[in-house]
Amino acid sequence: MAAKFDLNDDSIVVIIGSGAGGGTVANELAQRGVKSVILEAGKTLSLEDIENDEWSMFSKISWLDKRQSAGSWHGAVNHPGLPAWIVKGLGGSTVHWAGVSIRYQEHEFKMKTTSGGVAGANLLDWPITLDELKPWYDKAELKMGTTGEVTGMPHLPWSADFKVLAEGARRIGYSKITAGPMSINSEARDGRPACQQIGFCMQGCKIGAKWSTLYTELPRAVDTGNCEIRTNCMVLQVEHDKSGKVTGVVYADQDGKKQRQKARVVCVAGNSIESPRLLLNSESSLFPNGLANSSGQVGRNYMTHMTAGVYGVMPGEVHMNRGTAVAGIVRDEAHYDDTRGFAGGYTLEKLALGLGFLSAFLVPGPTGWGREVSSGLENYKYMSGVWICGEDMPQEQNRIALHATEKDQYGLPIPVVHKTDHPNDTNMRNHAYGQMAKIYHSLGAKKIYNLPAYPASHNMGTNRMSAKPEDGVVNKWGQSHDIKNLFVSDGSQFTTSASPNPTLTIVALAIRQADYLATQLKKGAI
Amino acid sequence: MLYDLTIVKDHYREIAPISDFKLSRRGLLASTAFLALATATAVGPTGSWAAAGVSAEQRLALIRMARDIYPHDDFLPDEPYVAVVDSILKEAESSEETRKLVMDGLSDLEARAKKIHGTSFAAIADPNKREGVLRSIELTGFFQKFKGGLLMGLYNNKALYPKFGYDGSSWEQGGFMDSFDKIGWL
Ligand SMILES: Cc1cc2nc3c(=O)[nH]c(=O)nc-3n(C[C@H](O)[C@H](O)[C@H](O)COP(=O)(O)OP(=O)(O)OC[C@H]3O[C@@H](n4cnc5c(N)ncnc54)[C@H](O)[C@@H]3O)c2cc1C
Ligand code: SF4
Repeated sequence: MAAKFDLNDDSIVVIIGSGAGGGTVANELAQRGVKSVILEAGKTLSLEDIENDEWSMFSKISWLDKRQSAGSWHGAVNHPGLPAWIVKGLGGSTVHWAGVSIRYQEHEFKMKTTSGGVAGANLLDWPITLDELKPWYDKAELKMGTTGEVTGMPHLPWSADFKVLAEGARRIGYSKITAGPMSINSEARDGRPACQQIGFCMQGCKIGAKWSTLYTELPRAVDTGNCEIRTNCMVLQVEHDKSGKVTGVVYADQDGKKQRQKARVVCVAGNSIESPRLLLNSESSLFPNGLANSSGQVGRNYMTHMTAGVYGVMPGEVHMNRGTAVAGIVRDEAHYDDTRGFAGGYTLEKLALGLGFLSAFLVPGPTGWGREVSSGLENYKYMSGVWICGEDMPQEQNRIALHATEKDQYGLPIPVVHKTDHPNDTNMRNHAYGQMAKIYHSLGAKKIYNLPAYPASHNMGTNRMSAKPEDGVVNKWGQSHDIKNLFVSDGSQFTTSASPNPTLTIVALAIRQADYLATQLKKGAI
Repeated sequence: MLYDLTIVKDHYREIAPISDFKLSRRGLLASTAFLALATATAVGPTGSWAAAGVSAEQRLALIRMARDIYPHDDFLPDEPYVAVVDSILKEAESSEETRKLVMDGLSDLEARAKKIHGTSFAAIADPNKREGVLRSIELTGFFQKFKGGLLMGLYNNKALYPKFGYDGSSWEQGGFMDSFDKIGWL
C-alpha cells in the first residue's frame, strides 16, 4: 500500500526533487525504514510517454520555466532563456541522461592542492577522499547497473559511430578507449532488459535498459510503504522556527494551491539551479541572505563542466543515430598535466545527435543558418561526433542570482544564471578542439565543425561541500553547516566539478548521505 | 516549439537602419545556379496567402528567402520551403501581429535589396549577395520567424528524414540491433 502522510506530520523527511539525488535518497531512506514525502515539481512520467523524437520529447519533459542566461558564454546570446537543459518531471534528469558513469580520480577531490591554486578560481579541496567514497561508488554501480568490474557486466558492444572515434584516437596514439562504464544494461539485469540499440537515450529509454530513478528507485521506495510521491508540486519556500531549525516547506500543489508540509528534516535535490534558488528565496529575518548561507556561497561557484562538441563529415557512411547515444569514451586526456596549458583533464565522449537537434546545434543561435549549416546536414549519414567534457574552474561570480523584477508562474523571482569561462576552461577547450581535429583528419574527414557548449546538462557546485563553514554551504555529509536538519542531496554539493560526468558521484553521495541521516535520526541527533 | 526564438526578439539590439548598413562579405562559395523560382508558384495552396494581402510576387520573394536560409539547391525541391512559407502566411491571415511582422519585414528586405543592388531581392542573381542582404536582417523577428519555421519544416519533418539518411524512430522495429555496428570503410 502506498503511504499517505498528513500535512501536519512533522516526523517525516521531505525530499525536494525526484532525480538522481532525490530519488536515490528517498529509496535508501525507505529501505532503512525512514518515512519521507517526495515533492516533485514536474508531472508523472512513464515509459508510455517516451517517444523517439527529439523535439517532441524536449517539449514534453524539459524544464522550461522562465530562466535567464547571463555572463559572457555564448549561450547568453544564443540560448537566452535556456541556460540549462534538464528535466522537470518524475525521475528528474535521469530520464534523459546518457548513462556515462565514471568515478572521480583521487587527485580530483583535491584540485586546490594538486594545482597549487589557480588565479581567479575559487578552488577548494573536497572534505572527503576517493578512499572514503569507494565503498559508496561500489554500491552506486550495483544499484545503477554500471558496466564494469563491480557488476561484472561487460561494456556495451561498439557501434559504428564509436568505431570511428576509436580508430581515429588509436591513430593519434591514444589507448584509453572503452565503451563504458555506462549505466545501461549490456545484459538483462535487475528486472530490466539489455540495451536494444534503439538510440534516443537522451529522449528517455523506451525499454528501461538505462538506469533512471523513474523506474528503479522511485517505485521501490513507494513499495516499502515508507514513501509518498506528490508530483506537480513545486516547493516555493523552506520554513524554519525561531531557533533556526527547519520545520517544513510551502509548495504549490497541482491546482496551484499553496500547501504547507511539516517535516523533521528537509533534503533539497532540485538540481544546481533550483536548489540554491530555493534557499535564496527562503530568506527570512533570521537568515536575511537566504537559508544556510552564512558563508555567502549559496548560488556561487556554478559549474557546468568545460564542454564543447565536434562533428566531422567522414569519408564513408556512419549513421551515428543507430545505437546508444554515448557508449564510447576516450580518456587519454583525463589525467592531470598542467604542461598542456590548463589544470584538470577532459574526456572525449562520442555523442550521436539526431537530425532535429543537429540542425539546431551545429551552428547554434539566431545566426546559425546558411550553407554552412545546410551543407553539413546534407551529409548527416556521414557524420560522427563527440562531446568534450572536462573540469571547469569554480568562480564566485559564476552563480545563480534572483532576478530583481521578473517573476515565474509561481510569483517567485526567476533565476539568472551567470557563466563566464575561466581562461583555464578556454585553454582546455582549445586543446580538445585541436586533438579532435587530429583524430578526424587522421580518418580523412572532409569537414569538421567545432560546436560551442550546449545549454548545460551538468550543473554543479552552487551549495558546495567544505570542511569549514566559512568556505561552503554543507559539510561532508551534505548537511548544512548552519542548519542541522537541512540537507543538500544533489550535484550542487560538489566542491569542484572534476572531469567525469557527475551522476555516479551524485548517487554515491546520496546513498552515503541516507545512511548517515538514518543513523542520526535513530540516535535522535537530528 | 523552438524554445529560444520568441525570446530572441527582445534580446537583440534593434537592427541598423539602412543608411548604416555595410554589405558583409562572407566569402562563401556559391556552388549553385540561381533557382528557377517559377516552379514554386505552381505548388502549394493558392488563395490563403492572397487573403493575407500578400501578392504572388511577395510570396515568391519569401520563398526565395526561405531557400537562402537553408540552401539545398538540387538536394531538396521547392515544396517543403513553400509549405513553411504558406503556413506562416496562413497564420498571417488571422493574426494581425504576424501579418505586420511579415509585411514590414519584407518591405524592409526589399528596400535593402534595392538600395544595395538596385533590384528586388529575388532578382539578385548571386546567392552570396542575397546572403549578404539577409545577414543584415538576421536578428529581426521577421527573419527568425522563417528560420524557426524552416528548422522544423525541413529537419524535423519525418517525410524528409530519408532524404537526409536519418532513420527516425526505431523502437517499434526493436532498435538497430542488426545495423548499429556495421561500418564498411574504416
Ligand atoms: C541530455 C543529458 C545527458 C546527460 N548525460 C549524463 C551522463 O551520461 N552521465 C552523467 O553522469 N550525467 C549526465 N547528465 C546529467 C544528469 O542528468 C544530472 O547530473 C543528474 O540527473 C542531476 O541530478 P539531480 O538530482 O541534481 O537533479 P535532477 O536529476 O535534474 O532532478 C531534479 C528534480 O527536482 C525537481 N525540482 C526542481 N526544483 C524543484 C522544486 N522547487 N520543487 C519540487 N521539485 C523541484 C525537478 O523537476 C527535477 O525532477 C545528463 C544530462 C542531460 C540533460
Ligand atoms: S540505445 Fe539502449 S539505452 Fe539507449 S535508449 Fe536505446 S535501449 Fe535504451
